[in-house]
Amino acid sequence: MTSGGAEMLTVDDDPVAVMDAYAARGWGDGLPLVPPTAGRVDAMLDALGDVDPDEVIAALPPRDGEATRRMIAVNAVLAGCAPAQLPVLVSAVRAIARDETNLRGVNATTHPVAPLLIVHGDIAATAGFNCGLGAFGPGNRANATTGRALRLILLHIAGAHPGPGDASTQGSPAKYGFCVAENVDASPWGGFAASVGVEADSAVTVHFGEGPHNFHDMESQDPERILAKCASAMTTTGQNNACISQGEYFVALCPEHAMVCSDHGWSRADVSGFLWEHARMPVDELRDAFDLLAWADWMRDLPDGAMAPMTESAANIRVFVAGGAGKHSCVMPSWGMTRSVTVAVEP
Amino acid sequence: MIEIYAPDGRVRTERDDLAQPVLQLAGKRLGILDNTKPNAGVLLHRMAEHLRERGGSDLAVVETKNAALAAPDQVIGRLTKEVELVLTGSAD
Repeated sequence: MTSGGAEMLTVDDDPVAVMDAYAARGWGDGLPLVPPTAGRVDAMLDALGDVDPDEVIAALPPRDGEATRRMIAVNAVLAGCAPAQLPVLVSAVRAIARDETNLRGVNATTHPVAPLLIVHGDIAATAGFNCGLGAFGPGNRANATTGRALRLILLHIAGAHPGPGDASTQGSPAKYGFCVAENVDASPWGGFAASVGVEADSAVTVHFGEGPHNFHDMESQDPERILAKCASAMTTTGQNNACISQGEYFVALCPEHAMVCSDHGWSRADVSGFLWEHARMPVDELRDAFDLLAWADWMRDLPDGAMAPMTESAANIRVFVAGGAGKHSCVMPSWGMTRSVTVAVEP
Repeated sequence: MIEIYAPDGRVRTERDDLAQPVLQLAGKRLGILDNTKPNAGVLLHRMAEHLRERGGSDLAVVETKNAALAAPDQVIGRLTKEVELVLTGSAD
């Protein structure tokens, strides 16, 4: 039997039976699943309003599976999403399918890359996302299940199953779900989406990168001393960006660190510029560390003894505000051969 | 019992055309598209040498590409123009 062209299965009315039936077919992420009955999926789709549930939003590699709104909703139900989260997920699928993310490469690489979703604007509040204390988790349904649903879409629709569809050597806990909301109320620089040219009431950013690298500074009241610690976290040879100059860094500043920067008159671009100037390594050390450097020509031409930036442009260092009280921030290097995408939230 | 959706959906039906298989190696020009992964070049060149010895094909073009990205159009264009068979696809 089919509904909207999708295959239906008949299983015992028991959550464990659903998990077993899925696992037998190579589906699921190993965690319990909410049974995606037609009623639950229809209720999820109702959140999108009057749109075609079977329109193909994107075909996702490597499987080239067609991500329709219905199939996105199926995976949202499985993950435990509430219907209000579905527009974020549909928009995230549009974002990951853009050429600049290089989704085929993301799923083919041995690197532990995972999609960080950053939710911006009104929908972060209306759909219940956490942008404050503990924003990266755990404890909030919207953050946890939206990130998880995107992973389920990658597993099921894109076919990014470990082995044939995802070559990651060790995997990553971030691959279970990696979603946070921007704390725009605590941001001295306004919303992130507008800073990259997306003017919308609600938006979502997808950044394919590594898990958070924490940096803390409990003492400083000047931006330089705080951000020097971020620069330190960015200057390691173990990250992919160390040998790929087009790589991006997403810096999630906690409100207190952001406020120190702002109180000293620093803009978002000033933070990026400082990090670009100070997150540098001796070019000789990088040349010794790698046989192959996917670098911009001007970086290849750096003389011995020069300090090489960790990315070719300050604009590749993306700054937003997340979290609550305390003085911990984090930075997430990209996989390298990928670019982040920010899109308006649309059904 | 309950009825639930399968989670994977349909696969895109439009397919890129595949090249016709090469049935005879003799006299064919061979290309290598090295993705620059460690040992890819070693493996591909050894394969090319075997094919030359056993089948009579000649290595005519060696190109490289970034392992994480599709080959640029100019590389694909050169291979399409200058060889009938390309060896590629090695990973770590």
